[in-house]
Amino acid sequence: MPFLIAVGVIALILILMYNALIARKNQVDNIFAGVDAALKKRFDLIPNLIASVQEYMTHEKELLSNITKLRTEGLKPNLSDTEKMALDQQVTSALGTLMISVENYPDLKANENIINLQRTLNETESQIAAARRAYNQAVTDYNNIIEMFPTNYMASWMNLTRKEVFVIDEHERENINVKELFNAS
Amino acid sequence: MKSIGELTDFYYNALYPSLKALEEQRKALAVKAYKIFALIALLALSGIAVRWYYFHALDLLSLMFVIAGAIGAAWSYRHIIQDYRTEFKMRIMKPLIEAIDDSLRYAPVATVSQSLFERSGLFQGRIDRFTGNDLVQGSIASVDLQFSDLHVESVTRDAKGNSHRSTIFQGLYIVAEFNKHFKSQTIILPDSAEKIFGNVLGSWLQSKSFGRDRLITLDNAAFEKAFVVYGNDPIESRYILTHTLMERLLNLKQSVGHNIYVSFVDANIHIAIAYNKDLFEPTVFQSLLNYDNAMSYIHALNLAVGIVEELKLNERLWSKE
Repeated sequence: MPFLIAVGVIALILILMYNALIARKNQVDNIFAGVDAALKKRFDLIPNLIASVQEYMTHEKELLSNITKLRTEGLKPNLSDTEKMALDQQVTSALGTLMISVENYPDLKANENIINLQRTLNETESQIAAARRAYNQAVTDYNNIIEMFPTNYMASWMNLTRKEVFVIDEHERENINVKELFNAS
Repeated sequence: MKSIGELTDFYYNALYPSLKALEEQRKALAVKAYKIFALIALLALSGIAVRWYYFHALDLLSLMFVIAGAIGAAWSYRHIIQDYRTEFKMRIMKPLIEAIDDSLRYAPVATVSQSLFERSGLFQGRIDRFTGNDLVQGSIASVDLQFSDLHVESVTRDAKGNSHRSTIFQGLYIVAEFNKHFKSQTIILPDSAEKIFGNVLGSWLQSKSFGRDRLITLDNAAFEKAFVVYGNDPIESRYILTHTLMERLLNLKQSVGHNIYVSFVDANIHIAIAYNKDLFEPTVFQSLLNYDNAMSYIHALNLAVGIVEELKLNERLWSKE
């Protein structure tokens, strides 16, 4: 009888550990789906944004074509999570540069359509930033559980490996006032 | 919106004639109240003395004299200050609130509705008594806002069938329009579990909190130490709670010095500040011209109306118009 109880307790502990690992892994996947949705939303904005600015922005042709190229790459099927994360950083940086360049074109800066696009882009960037933070927290929880004793043994048996987090820029952490940056009132 | 300095000037200059008239009324009331208290105390003591003289007993009945005296004193006090209280609200609070911003409307006997209180999801449990006063409504920098004093209680019965009231919340309750679109629910409560049980056990207990959504762990250590966050969409909770807003809420908690509860539900921010007392009430035994008393009204009003500015709810950086 005591032997059976001991076996029962060990089996229960193993089941709980297994379920906890699966829950953390699924949490990461679920939140990455949210990140992906936010990234897609930003990709959807790009054609409209490029179309609105290209006739004014004569000196930024290279930047605009780079953004279009990044979008095409980002929409390719079968991209890995790491590739998506790398592309996200490039798109964020390129769009940031584009938005700062808008400052050099007073007509463009005052254009109602551009102001609306800036606000929508700003909103999407905030959603992406939130999704990245949620993803990083989920990955941290996941990395912790697969490295902590005793779940680390089961994790290695299940072939669960560490995942990478998004690199959060310092400026994003500080949440700079975009209104001041764009000077859009 | 006027600054605290401007409001203080307004209180002592523009409201001075009203304050002076009310101050006379207050002095007379204070004397009247002291007389009534003395009379009631005398009656209670006589009752106790008679009981002692004839029955040589200091028992439950003697205690009943004290309790009856206290109830009588409280009732009489409430009754005699009624007119003075109404006049104070109409002649001092109303102009003071209108001076902050002329879009603000004041209703001394109304409250934020119970449905708006329940919608916030901040407090659990059945509400049996919902009272309050001093409703202020208006729009500050195009942000709709309302707040009032609230006292929300539940009633429980013990084994003997006696009912007991317990306070769910007492303090200032503020509802304002939030400047971002969101569909989910995010609730921020004071972090008592981690304070009592420490980080590891505290966060485990928080994650097991019944009747709450999922625990959201945020990337700001000071905020995590002060608050616990529950939400049904971890991404949207972080979309609302940016690093800047977390800092602003921490500052708000620090400047208030009381527990604060915040929720984001139905496109609005709900803030409950547990002062555990009724604010905006006139003093009877202290002068209305007393600087500390004046500042307590001005600070509380400035804080409630200043939420819009403090949390930058008027910033329209996103697509929400």
